[in-house]
Amino acid sequence: MSNELISKKDLLDLTGISYGQLYRWKRKNLIPEEWFIRKSTFTGQETFFPKEKVLERIDKIQSMKETLSLDELAERLSPSSAAGMEFSKNELLKRNIVTNTSLELYGNESGISDPLPFDQLLEVFILDKLLSSGDISLDEGRMLLQVLKEARSILGKSKHELLLIRKLGVTSCLLVNGAENIIVDQGSKVTVRLSVRSCIEELKTNL
Amino acid sequence: MGNGMKGNLMINGYGSSNGGHFDQVKLNGRGIVNGNLECVMFECNGSGAVHGDLKVDNGKISGSGKVKGKVEGNNFTIEGHGSVSEGVSLVNKMNISGSGKIGGSLRANEVKIKGKATIATNCETESFRSDGQFAIGGLLSADHIDVRLYGESNAAEMGGQTIKVKGKRRGFFQLFKPFFQTKLTVNVIEGDELELESTKAEVVRGKNVIIGPECEIDLVEYKESFRRVEGAKVREFKKI
Repeated sequence: MSNELISKKDLLDLTGISYGQLYRWKRKNLIPEEWFIRKSTFTGQETFFPKEKVLERIDKIQSMKETLSLDELAERLSPSSAAGMEFSKNELLKRNIVTNTSLELYGNESGISDPLPFDQLLEVFILDKLLSSGDISLDEGRMLLQVLKEARSILGKSKHELLLIRKLGVTSCLLVNGAENIIVDQGSKVTVRLSVRSCIEELKTNL
Repeated sequence: MGNGMKGNLMINGYGSSNGGHFDQVKLNGRGIVNGNLECVMFECNGSGAVHGDLKVDNGKISGSGKVKGKVEGNNFTIEGHGSVSEGVSLVNKMNISGSGKIGGSLRANEVKIKGKATIATNCETESFRSDGQFAIGGLLSADHIDVRLYGESNAAEMGGQTIKVKGKRRGFFQLFKPFFQTKLTVNVIEGDELELESTKAEVVRGKNVIIGPECEIDLVEYKESFRRVEGAKVREFKKI
């Protein structure tokens, strides 16, 4: 991707959007904060954007805003804003985003491609998080991966939560959508309760 | 937020409690809550404090309340001398009519200021209305910004669709020499429809720009129209 920048003025001219729209979209996180690059010029401070990315995004917003509200759009864009990205194994290990153990386990279980697309990376990340915190064992990790693989296409699109319930040493793994209160029988214990969306956010900030 | 089995927490006078989930929480006097608090209704009259994050449907600080953490919820009102040490994020409305201090950013659908508000970083809202003073350390971003100046206010940047700043009210009180300046100081203002008075800014960019009395602007860049009243100081202006 080219690193060419475009100034705010030129961007507004080129796309025909107004200041009001730009600020509104920024507030709704349709245009991520990190794309606003401040530079001082001879006329004072100006804001620049990565040209290719921002033009593509504005195009997308304009074509979708006829049918969707801004909030729906924000929803649609935020988990997938990283969807196109891919990450090489070495880079992930070097930057300590996930550990080698979980990458290997993932590779054995689900098959791994290098570079890794975002949705698969998310699965590794969740696995890694739970393994390193000591909440689950390797066997439970395998079970978790199966569930995540089943749900890959819908994961993160709504308020999914991941639950691990243990009874008499036997574990079940569940992915639930929008459950407020979960009541289990006395012998069972909810060992893990994790929001998928917060994992996505956490992963994105680490990247 | 469901309130099925949750109880109420009421502290009258001196007292402290741990946090947790409640239906209604009232701190009258010097109540202290240690830990995160989640409730449907929160009210702090007196000098209460929450040492933790507060999650609330409708919250109000009328005395000198403190939240040492962040606030999330629906509506929140500061009527006395309230402070929140981290950010505030609301679905609906933020009212500040006393002196409110926010140590992080403020996000809400609507923000109304009648007293004095200090926001450390950004203030992001759909509609912003001030009849008081404000100091915003970052960007003030809103669809509609409507400011009536009393005393001095400032923000690092302002951006939105319509931005209106009204300066001193004319009339009887003009007979007395004012004790303090009426002025809004901003580095950069960007918007579509701009109407400014008593504003000091480095750069103003907009579609239709009207610069009113007692303004001091270094540079105005406009797209369609530009008008200024006599006495407004504009060092440079250009059509882009």
